[in-house]
Amino acid sequence: MAASRESNLSSLYAELNRFGQAGESERALKTANKILQQFPDEKEAFHCKVVCLIQLSRFQDGLKAVNNTPKLSSDLDFEKAYCQYRLNQPLQALKTVNEASNVTLRIKELKAQILYRLEKYEECFDAYRDVIKNSDDDYEDERETNLSAVVANLCTENSVKDLPQLR
Amino acid sequence: LPPDMRPIPCKPLFFDLAYNFIEFPSLEEKIETSASGSKKAGAGITG
Repeated sequence: MAASRESNLSSLYAELNRFGQAGESERALKTANKILQQFPDEKEAFHCKVVCLIQLSRFQDGLKAVNNTPKLSSDLDFEKAYCQYRLNQPLQALKTVNEASNVTLRIKELKAQILYRLEKYEECFDAYRDVIKNSDDDYEDERETNLSAVVANLCTENSVKDLPQLR
Repeated sequence: LPPDMRPIPCKPLFFDLAYNFIEFPSLEEKIETSASGSKKAGAGITG
């Protein structure tokens, strides 16, 4: 009995993984919910559920899920802050990233975007400097574009910051 | 008469890069451990 329950969980996760990799967020969400109905303490399934909601642009639902389920949300600071950011709650989003238990590079990246939204360009500039120095992925051009946007705003503000030469 | 045209700074391009890091956690372990758990393996590959 216990064994079949376990293997059922395993095959549900295999299905979830398949839908996730295929970008089928709607179906993945259904599978994640199915897992959570039978196994309400499954952190990974809950994490996937929140990711699906974000991919479906259901930011309000994502934020609600995180807030209503603190037991499964301890590692979901990034997802929570992203929902707040997209719901145009930049102050709350900033609070979430500042209180995040684990300051990863993606948290820093999101914080830079939040600071831009808040028009705190000097802080944002420093945040991007840090992210650009420490990141190594396929988005370096886009990141430099974002830095240029920050620099453009600093120029219109006549900031005294020492601005870099851009390409 | 419409007022004269005046240049204004354009809104700079800004990408949402954080979205690219919204992704599933690794489910490898959930798929493997519960499968091997049902077989009562426990000992690992080398036995």
